[in-house]
Amino acid sequence: MTPTLSRRRLLATAGASAMLLAGCADDTKNANVKTAPDESDTADADLLNSMLDLELEMVAAYKTAAGGLRDGALRILKGFLEQEQAHADALAAAIKNLKGIPNQAKSSYDFRPLGSQRDVMRFAVERENNQIAAYIDVLPKLSPGEVRSTVSAILTTESEQLAVWLGELGLAQAPSAFVLGRPA
Amino acid sequence: MNRPVVVVADGAADTAQIAAFERDRRALLRRGLALGGAAVAASSVPLLLAVRNAFADDETDATLLEKAITLERTLVLAYDRVIQDGFLRDEQLAPALREHERRHAATWVTALTDLGGQPPPEPAGPAAVDKLVKGLGDVHDEAQTLAFLIEIETAAVAAYYDAQAKFVQARLLQSGASIMGSEGQHLVLLRQAAKLAPVPEALETGTS
Repeated sequence: MTPTLSRRRLLATAGASAMLLAGCADDTKNANVKTAPDESDTADADLLNSMLDLELEMVAAYKTAAGGLRDGALRILKGFLEQEQAHADALAAAIKNLKGIPNQAKSSYDFRPLGSQRDVMRFAVERENNQIAAYIDVLPKLSPGEVRSTVSAILTTESEQLAVWLGELGLAQAPSAFVLGRPA
Repeated sequence: MNRPVVVVADGAADTAQIAAFERDRRALLRRGLALGGAAVAASSVPLLLAVRNAFADDETDATLLEKAITLERTLVLAYDRVIQDGFLRDEQLAPALREHERRHAATWVTALTDLGGQPPPEPAGPAAVDKLVKGLGDVHDEAQTLAFLIEIETAAVAAYYDAQAKFVQARLLQSGASIMGSEGQHLVLLRQAAKLAPVPEALETGTS
């Protein structure tokens, strides 16, 4: 089976070849010639930007949640906050590699009011599940290759963070053989 | 000029192999882990490298699935042995994780037969586990058992990390992600039981 994005990449390559033949010259050594990003690279950059939006929102969510946690739970959150920021940084770097422009964090996010420490941890579980579901959804839309591995690695970390929060809530930490991001 | 060869413990190994392996071994040691509580033997090097690159040379979904089936069935064998040894204080842990591995294997078998393929022969005995990660026969207490299980689950994550770049069919890619996430959750349970940081890295690739 040939994935759609690969076909698009092939067509884009074919189009570039046709233009090159039409011009009867190789301009690749001319520093003044600007090369447009590959169509599938642009599609990948857009998809990664949608994931970056989620990561940036997660960073903001954890910052908001920090106020409602104490002791061990707060230490966990601080560690995970750093990891979410690292995910955002990794996605931004990948987008730049594809000659895209990484989205920026919004000036504010609208999160529901959080009450007790358990409310905050349930909120974290909910957010982690959302992240996982989004990554599983986006994976096949990305071009084959390393970026899929990177996204899978981020998804796996989110699954691990989810397991930790579930444990803090006294719930089964690995309740299913398949992590799908469905609400716990 | 003589070609540099690293000689360790039980013999010489190819320098390039050692260099590649050392990266993983250093990461293991940084995590405070070593197989069976001892340094990794030179004879393990090619085996571990084979795991790290389990999917590297395969091109088709069918061959990836064959490897994934063997990987998951080997994990089941490892948990069988761990349950038999009985070193883990939490008696529910290994059976629960083994059941997950069984389900992963069953999923991949269904996927392969849907593609018209035949599942590979069942791995059998400790030798099959040794081909994945050596040392299960040398564990004698809970700490060593947990260290071994963390190592073999980490190897599974590394294998899926490689496979995810190569799966073509969308449903296989999504199943792979879902299973890789599950292996990550196994690692959390095992690391917590071993009193280690449950999520030590921002990117769980199975190599750090």
